[in-house]
Amino acid sequence: MGLHVGIDFGTSNSGVAVFDGSQVHLLPIDPKNLVPQVVKTILYITSDHRHFIGQEAVELYYKQNINRQRRFVKKWSGEIDYHGADMHYVRDIYVYVDELQPGRLLQFIKTALRSEKYTGTQVFDRYYSLSDIIATYLRALKQRAESLLGEDISGVTLGRPVKFSAIPEIDRRAQDTLHEAALQAGFSRVDFELEPVAAALYYELSLNKPANAIIYDFGGGTLDLTIMRLGDPGRRLVYASGGIGIAGSDFDRAIITRRMLPHFGKGIVMHQPEIEKLINTIPDWSALPELSTPLARGELERAIHNGLAPVRLKALEALIFNDLAFSFYNMVEATKINLSSQAAAVARMKEKDLDIWELYTRTQFEKDIHEQQQQIEQVLVDTLAASGLEPAQIDAVVKTGGSSNIPVFSEMLARIFGQEQVKASDLFSSVTAGLAIKAHHSR
Amino acid sequence: MISPDKIDEWIHEVEERPASAALIIRYIANRLGELAAREEELAAQNIALLNGKKVEEYENRLASLEYQLELLKRQLGGEMVLPTEAPPSQPASEMLSLVLYNPLGQVLRAEIDPLEMSSGQTIGSLAGAPDQDEAQPAILAAPSQEELLLIFTSGRTVAMPASSLAASPAESLDWQQAYLEEPRVKEELAAIQPIARMALYEYCIQASRRGYVKKMRTSFFTSHAAEGYIGTGVKLPADRTYNLAFAGKDDLFVMVSQEGYIFSMPAERLPTAIEEVVHLGITDHIVAAFTVSQKPSILFVTQTGKAVHRDTSWLDPAGTFKTKGQSLLSRERREAGTRIVGAAPVGEGDWGVFLHDDGKLSAYQLNQLLADGSLERGRAASSIVSITTFHMPEVKPQPPG
Repeated sequence: MGLHVGIDFGTSNSGVAVFDGSQVHLLPIDPKNLVPQVVKTILYITSDHRHFIGQEAVELYYKQNINRQRRFVKKWSGEIDYHGADMHYVRDIYVYVDELQPGRLLQFIKTALRSEKYTGTQVFDRYYSLSDIIATYLRALKQRAESLLGEDISGVTLGRPVKFSAIPEIDRRAQDTLHEAALQAGFSRVDFELEPVAAALYYELSLNKPANAIIYDFGGGTLDLTIMRLGDPGRRLVYASGGIGIAGSDFDRAIITRRMLPHFGKGIVMHQPEIEKLINTIPDWSALPELSTPLARGELERAIHNGLAPVRLKALEALIFNDLAFSFYNMVEATKINLSSQAAAVARMKEKDLDIWELYTRTQFEKDIHEQQQQIEQVLVDTLAASGLEPAQIDAVVKTGGSSNIPVFSEMLARIFGQEQVKASDLFSSVTAGLAIKAHHSR
Repeated sequence: MISPDKIDEWIHEVEERPASAALIIRYIANRLGELAAREEELAAQNIALLNGKKVEEYENRLASLEYQLELLKRQLGGEMVLPTEAPPSQPASEMLSLVLYNPLGQVLRAEIDPLEMSSGQTIGSLAGAPDQDEAQPAILAAPSQEELLLIFTSGRTVAMPASSLAASPAESLDWQQAYLEEPRVKEELAAIQPIARMALYEYCIQASRRGYVKKMRTSFFTSHAAEGYIGTGVKLPADRTYNLAFAGKDDLFVMVSQEGYIFSMPAERLPTAIEEVVHLGITDHIVAAFTVSQKPSILFVTQTGKAVHRDTSWLDPAGTFKTKGQSLLSRERREAGTRIVGAAPVGEGDWGVFLHDDGKLSAYQLNQLLADGSLERGRAASSIVSITTFHMPEVKPQPPG
């Protein structure tokens, strides 16, 4: 029988930990990362189907893709059968394929679990279902963890948000897919724990008397809330759970939509539906790489030639065709993170034909995410109401997840519960640590 | 992109959190500095456009492209029918071709990645020691996308893309596997010259081993090369053509002899008919011919691997033909048997590849070599047969990870 570990499969970051009964050991799963205990939830699949995760994936992606050459070839992809009242014909369908593409980078994999439509993607000559993608990532995590521990790992406790989706069917399907992926990855025993509950288990280690706590788990993909009675392992009580599918990646999208799109022609390019469609696709990280087609390039070149916002459309062309999308999203995320510690930051990206300089203040950011902030506050109030507790009865508000550090949300928590009650747990590892504790008890 | 609304938002931030003012001012000041530098750069470009320098540059580029098109036409055997759609562009190769050739018309090519080289490293090996007689091999470094002109002693030329020569592994080069451009009767392969950029130059200078020179306008040379004959470039029966050099109007043409005599003269003043410009001793012959424009230094290499450095300003251009040339070596050293095997102008980022008599190929960063004074000690046992230089491509900056 092998080990049973806890894995936090997060939207932006993941982690693996084991609990030996007295102490949690967070594994340095990504030695190339600044914080080795955290690995980016990024998968890079090369054209010969080798798989890379975390920082290694990022570095290889940069090395192989930035400013690379492209060669589009027309490939037959299938046919469409037309049936009319008095006619029937078959039409061939062709797609343009970049035959020099060295690999595909997949990120925000977890977000796909809550999508109604996403079932998988074609990666070169193979179709990867969503469970194949997740299994590939988890398999790599498992292998790394096994080599660090020097032992086989047979079981895993995986974290899951309180709600993948508000629609019960999608929520159930998301967990089933994650379960199937974990089995595919080679774990023979798989169980789940709610991520905020896991964070609570870790927080409980630091308690010396029972307390009512809100676990405020705010990461890259979702906000998860759990209100619990902690401190007496024999009498743990979950008062209420809640959550919403708003988190870090939504804030990035808000920044892009409101502040970045004008750099690519938004507001200047009018009555050009094809080009406007390209511009409006920028906030969608998964769709942007698909825009690099000869057709799109032709449209852009024509518009540039005709003097239609040439500098901005040249920037758009560079973003799409020089594989700068990943760097661009990272830059936006870094700007947002900087705003947690300072009142202003510069969103800066300078590449060939692309020069973005945007001074962005915390006030602007708070204005841009005001709507989401209100929704989040409403969920928090609703969850608290569902617990039957008053704010004054909450002894601790435990913040975890990268987005929980955003000042406007810290201020919101302090306003509702009092500054004294707001405690920061380990932002990136408390869920992983809690899952390891749960894994230990499950064994 | 800085709209009044945005400025209002920044002011609002300062009102909300006055401590942010200093940070915001610093960001804006940095940006202003950046923009001022950019504006100056653009103004300079504008001046270049207005005074015609840019136009001249584009004309040169056009001339170069036209020439390359001509070459392509010739390779395809006649007028080329341009496809209606441009062919997919090949990935820009940054590989370096090392071309080794000998008078028998054997040509070997190895492809190496210059960015993986380290100074002093052995980068390849030629099977069997090269002969020390007349069939002594020579080496040339050129980008893999270059067009090469093979020059025979009879004046016959053959043009071919470097990439058409099969690449052999650098570590096991063997004449047995060489491409053979068979010389005709009484003919030898004298030199191989890269020509893809020749349309950018004003003159083509043909130099002979005995110090004879003739200058042609590049446009004439192009048409001669297209016919496959550029002339023998010699007057004496015992002489043979050494190599070509391309020069701009203001460039200085330099020839270096084996016994250490240097001839230099502005390209514009060189003769158009074959003339003896430097008078060499009976046992002496030319081992390097090149032009100097911007590069600050000249490197001379002796057969023992010693590197001699001179500033370009050290050259004393000759006022007349048939001069004896500037002496680089002292009489004692010359009598002691010191000989020059190669020379080249050196700038920042230039590297050299050295062919040793034991067949080894070694690479050195030339500025480093100039600083060290000689090839590494371990190589002292072997003599240098031929040298070639190339400019190391710049490493692209890594994006932030």
